[in-house]
Amino acid sequence: MRAQPADGDLVALTLRGHSDAFATLVERYDRAVYHLAYRTLHDAEEARDVTQEAFFKAFRSLRTFKPDAKFSTWIFAIAYHACCDRLNRRRHFASEELPERADPAPGPESQAIALDEASRLRAAIDALPEKYRTVVTLFHLQGRQYEEIATVLGLPMGTVKTHLFRAKEQLRRLLGAMEVTES
Amino acid sequence: MKMDDEALERAILNLPLEEPPHGLRASILLATAYRPAPAFSFFELAAVGSLGAIAVWLVVLLVLGGGSLFVHTVGTIGATLTRTLSNAAVLAWLAAGGATALWLTLFTGSHPVAAVSHRSESSAGR
Repeated sequence: MRAQPADGDLVALTLRGHSDAFATLVERYDRAVYHLAYRTLHDAEEARDVTQEAFFKAFRSLRTFKPDAKFSTWIFAIAYHACCDRLNRRRHFASEELPERADPAPGPESQAIALDEASRLRAAIDALPEKYRTVVTLFHLQGRQYEEIATVLGLPMGTVKTHLFRAKEQLRRLLGAMEVTES
Repeated sequence: MKMDDEALERAILNLPLEEPPHGLRASILLATAYRPAPAFSFFELAAVGSLGAIAVWLVVLLVLGGGSLFVHTVGTIGATLTRTLSNAAVLAWLAAGGATALWLTLFTGSHPVAAVSHRSESSAGR
């Protein structure tokens, strides 16, 4: 069985004109990038746009990618910044008039009707404040690579760890509350 | 039941990823790696545009001043070009400029010859 090429090699191949190498990178990360965008924005249409935008920006500025960096961190950072731009625009828009959200995040009441453990956990994550939710989503995507999460968010590693700690505390509280409501 | 730290982290890590909408990957690839090459390159468009502009200009000369103005202008352009291109120093500068441009493309990865071969390679592979 042939070993999978590393992301850095695929970037180098893309820069040498091999389109298929970039296609492999898209195959590897499109779902994760979409997940990050969707969990941050709670809007399928916007998440789709952000995912496309992130890969398009990455493709166009592939030359600026540092060979010692991780492609996943880089593409997540691009997607995260695109999400932040949209959230800021949303907030600006909301201060002028209240827009109808196409796909609003479920409210705490509806979250309580969660059926199994995974959907309960997902509902609890959705109920977290934005800064904690993003850290948890990146933890989900990148595992315990706190430094990578800090790079994506542009935050010190200590802050990321604190956010994650508080997020887990709140999650435990929310999950407990959901159990009580269900029983 | 209260989850301990380890169990909660495991539960988060085991959450399934969101299912992306149908056709997302295809649309990303069409906008990036497999974007259809434009029918004309920038240089081809510039060359065709310049030739078109010169043709229009010559037609205007013919219409405004008749044959004599046209012949005079073409003669002047021809003489200037001949004088310029017969100058060894000008030719040397042109050669140096062309060579430098080609050399620089080796570093930017946009070497015209390499790009053409890769493009044909990838389209044959697909």
